[in-house]
Amino acid sequence: MKISKELIEKYHRNECSAEETEAVEAWLFSGESDEALQLPLGEDKALHKAALWDEIEKVLPEEVPAPIPTKKPFYKSPFWSGAIAATLVIGVLAVAGYYITTVKPANDVPMVMVNNNSSMHVKHVEANAYNISVGPNTSTKINNITGIIDLSGSLLISPKKDITLLFEGSSEKMIFKAGQTYIILKGEDGVDKIIVVNEKNIMDLPPVLQKQIINEFKI
Amino acid sequence: MSSKFNRFLFFLLLLFCCAACTRKSADNGDATVKRYSIYILAKDGKEYLLQSNSLANGLLTPEQDGVELNSKEITRSVIVKDGYYYHLNRNKRTFVKYKLESKSLLEVGSVSLKNFSIENFYWKGPDTLLLTGLNTSDFSQVKYALINTAKMEQIAAGDMDIPRPSGRFDNMSVGFVELRNQKLFVGYTYHQQLSASNYTTSDTTYITKLNYPQMTAVKTDKDTRSTYPGGINTIQPYSFNDEQHNYYFMTCPGIALGNRPELPTAIMRIKSGSDDPDENYFFNLSASATHNHAYGMWYLGNNKVIIRTERKDLFKGLGDHYSTPHFEFYVADLISKTVNKLPLPLDKGTRRQCVLVNKDIAYISVNSPTEGNHIWMYHIKTGELKKGLQLGGNTDFIMRIDELTP
Repeated sequence: MKISKELIEKYHRNECSAEETEAVEAWLFSGESDEALQLPLGEDKALHKAALWDEIEKVLPEEVPAPIPTKKPFYKSPFWSGAIAATLVIGVLAVAGYYITTVKPANDVPMVMVNNNSSMHVKHVEANAYNISVGPNTSTKINNITGIIDLSGSLLISPKKDITLLFEGSSEKMIFKAGQTYIILKGEDGVDKIIVVNEKNIMDLPPVLQKQIINEFKI
Repeated sequence: MSSKFNRFLFFLLLLFCCAACTRKSADNGDATVKRYSIYILAKDGKEYLLQSNSLANGLLTPEQDGVELNSKEITRSVIVKDGYYYHLNRNKRTFVKYKLESKSLLEVGSVSLKNFSIENFYWKGPDTLLLTGLNTSDFSQVKYALINTAKMEQIAAGDMDIPRPSGRFDNMSVGFVELRNQKLFVGYTYHQQLSASNYTTSDTTYITKLNYPQMTAVKTDKDTRSTYPGGINTIQPYSFNDEQHNYYFMTCPGIALGNRPELPTAIMRIKSGSDDPDENYFFNLSASATHNHAYGMWYLGNNKVIIRTERKDLFKGLGDHYSTPHFEFYVADLISKTVNKLPLPLDKGTRRQCVLVNKDIAYISVNSPTEGNHIWMYHIKTGELKKGLQLGGNTDFIMRIDELTP
């Protein structure tokens, strides 16, 4: 089939038959000069080809230029690709683990609330004035402005500076000294008394409670 | 000439090396021959071990005279014998043997001990230690490990034929272990965890007699006159044999152990030659002149024993039970069932290895915020009581006094 200006224009307008389309595209992809093309005088075949390519490129999937093969990159070797993958996996796990087990509120949050529903794992929280480890099946709420603490379960608190806390429903203020770690235990029903002891005196707690805390916090 | 001179120099060098080595071992030797060991908890939370040849006088300070301990390695829940310290490192699951060198605690041996929480120890022989404990996952299975402490090797290990907690009870405690005529008497009871800060104990003292070394049960006796027999004896002792080999044990239902304060603290016994607990013997300490619960007892000989009693009018609860000075010491007579209070300052610390009996002297360590930390000497025959060694400096609690060498 002879490629004419009319045929090319028809191709542009998407009006070609299947046979005509095939012919135009065969011409287009052929790198050879084609004597069969009959163009008006003064019109350049190359310009038509370029215009056609522009049209086609709009509908063709984008082609990524093939990389120029040079020396094989080190990461393509089985050893290094394995090592990188392992590092990435460990890195992702470490970051995920850190964020799962450590809640890091903003330094000046007025309230720290932690609800640890896990029956096995301890949740660690860092606040401006203290670090706390929240035991399994424990919920706690510490108001950093009023110093009122509400707790159901077991908690370790390590103040960074001397702090005073007041237990919800109690009038007795307790001083927690910087650099020490305290164990706080409180039943959820509010009937059981609050027990606060310095971690150093854990052996003075009844063995039943002592063993439970050692297991929970891996002391 | 030159060769002779070189030989002379070499000889001098050897002499110097030998002298240096000799001096070092002499120093080390000095550190190991001390008679007594003192475990201190300081005001800043640091822990120290001190050794001394005398508890009778003088002043020691943990900062200057002690070795600071790494609390991740060792705690005061230790077994002290013949100059060595034995401790279970729960996190490393290893039972470790230590020796105190001049400036550090030196590990001299270890044996793997997994899923084990020590409840009681019993020396079956000079180098044979029977450890009784519970599984660490839920403290419901009684286990044992027999260890050769000279080689730090496990001889045998396994479960004891003792029923797990059932019904409302979910964990348990083993309070004493006594071997007699190839039969092992194990005293224990069951607990129910009620909340993070509360639990209760069965009203029953259980004593199971096991075949040794098979650890199979022969029979179990139940006694509801009191509960929580004994306690963890790596922290404080609760039982002994008298001169006739009658075995006495204390029951501790007070809030610091059994948390059944409505039941009496008592002393009970298994008579010499008997296979059964003595139903006819019951020394009700709560009903005696102490009018309080007691924890811990130390035998003085001739049917006399020192007990350590709490003062329920002076503390509020478990939160201040250890920090408030409220403990008193009494000498109790096992036969007449009478008690006499020792005129000592009120002591603090819920549980401590605080009494050491050596011939006619009972050394009693007292932590008094007003009168200081002293070891008092009670003369068993004359009843004389006087101050001995003082622990000063940063001392907050004298946690243990032990005899290192007989």
